[in-house]
Amino acid sequence: MEAKQIVKTETTYPPIQKKSVKGTKKTKKKPNIKLGALAIVIAILFLSPFYIVLTNSFKTQKGIFLNVMSLPFGEYFSSSNYVEAFHELNFIRSFMNSLFITVSSTIIIIIFASMAAWMLVRTKTKLSTFLFFLFAVAMLIPFQSVMLPLVRIMGILGFLNPYGLVFMYLGFGSSLSIILYHGFIKNIPVELEEAAVIDGCNKLQTFWYIVFPLLKPITVTVSILNVMWIWNDFLLPQLVINRPEWHTIPLRMFYFFGQYSRKWHLALAGLVIAMIPIIIFYFFAQKHIIKGVTDGSSK
Amino acid sequence: MAKVILNAVEKVYPNDFKAVHGIDLEIKDKEFMVFVGPSGCAKSTTLRMVAGLEEITSGTITIGDRVVNDVPPKDRGIAMVFQNYALYPHMTVYENMAFSLKLKKMPKNVIDQKVREAAKILEIEDLLKRKPKELSGGQRQRVAVGRSIVRDPDVFLFDEPLSNLDAKLRVHMRVQLSLLHKKLNTTMIYVTHDQVEAMTMGDRICVMNLGRIMQVDTPLNLYHQPSNKFVAGFIGSPAMNLIEGELLKNNDTILVKIGEVKLPLTPNKAEKVRSHIGKKVWFGIRPEDISIGDHETQNGVLGRIQVLEHMGSETFLYFEVDGLKITAKIDSMDAKGLQVQECHGFIFDMEKCHIFDYDSEENISL
Repeated sequence: MEAKQIVKTETTYPPIQKKSVKGTKKTKKKPNIKLGALAIVIAILFLSPFYIVLTNSFKTQKGIFLNVMSLPFGEYFSSSNYVEAFHELNFIRSFMNSLFITVSSTIIIIIFASMAAWMLVRTKTKLSTFLFFLFAVAMLIPFQSVMLPLVRIMGILGFLNPYGLVFMYLGFGSSLSIILYHGFIKNIPVELEEAAVIDGCNKLQTFWYIVFPLLKPITVTVSILNVMWIWNDFLLPQLVINRPEWHTIPLRMFYFFGQYSRKWHLALAGLVIAMIPIIIFYFFAQKHIIKGVTDGSSK
Repeated sequence: MAKVILNAVEKVYPNDFKAVHGIDLEIKDKEFMVFVGPSGCAKSTTLRMVAGLEEITSGTITIGDRVVNDVPPKDRGIAMVFQNYALYPHMTVYENMAFSLKLKKMPKNVIDQKVREAAKILEIEDLLKRKPKELSGGQRQRVAVGRSIVRDPDVFLFDEPLSNLDAKLRVHMRVQLSLLHKKLNTTMIYVTHDQVEAMTMGDRICVMNLGRIMQVDTPLNLYHQPSNKFVAGFIGSPAMNLIEGELLKNNDTILVKIGEVKLPLTPNKAEKVRSHIGKKVWFGIRPEDISIGDHETQNGVLGRIQVLEHMGSETFLYFEVDGLKITAKIDSMDAKGLQVQECHGFIFDMEKCHIFDYDSEENISL
């Protein structure tokens, strides 16, 4: 047997990289001036409409036409725009109409779209794939190409009222919502539903008790998208709602723009009033978009 | 209390893939039965069929005294623990455990009592207010078991429940589950691909491959008396040496020829394989039935050591004889001084060898 020579080797380690520790030594980053400047320009671009709307809503009509960018001071300041706009909009009534149509449409879209998407994800047949693509394709159809026949059909059916409008919003809002839900549900482990079935849930209970609560982040996204669109929509309500007592805020806003006169000062004040609920909703909903809601459910 | 009987159970998927080929199996009341096999052997599918999560194509499944083919999962008297825990993430541990009882519309005080009892058994009382994401892997697994316990089922089903845990925790949970089985004294069916889990936990083990049951027996019987080549190769680590060979007769002695080596079978084994003289066979011997010794003895061979793996108390020794690669497991004290590429004598304990039919791969030496 050959005696093996033991060779001592020295192990060399790579040098330890010095890291800056928080509180001891801060690494200074050079501010990117160009990027900062670009961000400021974009911010100004996006915020300028708010500035224009807000400042001009406190001006008289004359003040607006003299200088649209000036601040509301002196003789051109008007504090009565909001009160007047509030009355002209018949704000309480139109707000309630908008609220009813937006909330009920969004709720129905959420219920139908989430359930449909769940079944489309969990049912793996050619029909479900076909239906899913049908929903995707439906998004490509321009509203203008279907609005007239749709309104005509709904008129024949006696649905030219807020309820008919809710039904139409369900049709127009479902496609995108289903696609959003579909993508999200695919990541929910099916074992959760199987565990629910073993625990004694039927299909509907499995959906309401287990699946739907897990859809919270995407439901918030879907509701933000739909609420904003439906709240601000003008064309469809204009075509469908013909009785003044059913008018929504965007329709009432139209009252400020007559054939011979345009009450910009009131319109802008009205616009600010109309924006407030939607902005409140947005900030409220944004808090609820929580990432990784299924953390801890599985491995 | 319930026994589970699978009678000619088949599963064919819509694409005509036959996953389960007519399984017959009786799981006794209070038994801990382990389904073990490689990936895709249909062990989980079989478990899911018992649970009612997978429809069976033909055959019958009986739990207790009733056929449950058309009984929904919730009414089968089963509870299942999933591989990935499947805890409801939006509910606290307490709500997770109480969920099935709430669905049954049990009184609140009864639910509370059951949940707290189960939590006490699993030592998770202080976790009841937490959400699953605030728990460690082991804690989540215990909650998943707790959720099953509160249902007071006739049969517990476990689908690879420890495979997501690290090695140390897995050993701990293995012991915990075995203790739980003793405490609850209920029928348990446990699916795993880990043969160590199967060997240590099961009262009996059902070894499966390609949708068929290969053997059902106690862990030790499976190890010492494998009924076919698959079971012989699957159970045991390192795996049994399985070498292509031929049975020869020399005077009154029956020999097995592997490569150029001829090893005489003991009279006991020889008697059983007599009908296969002159035929090709598979020769099987476990690594621990090979020891270091004089190669000139009757059962000795001369081999060249290829690799030595020191495991602490024992050493795995990979050697080559006439191009045949063989593994031996020897005491680490006996392995002292051995060197790779050295030639050594190895002795085969022929009383413990197995001979398998070449075509059917059935053990003909039992």
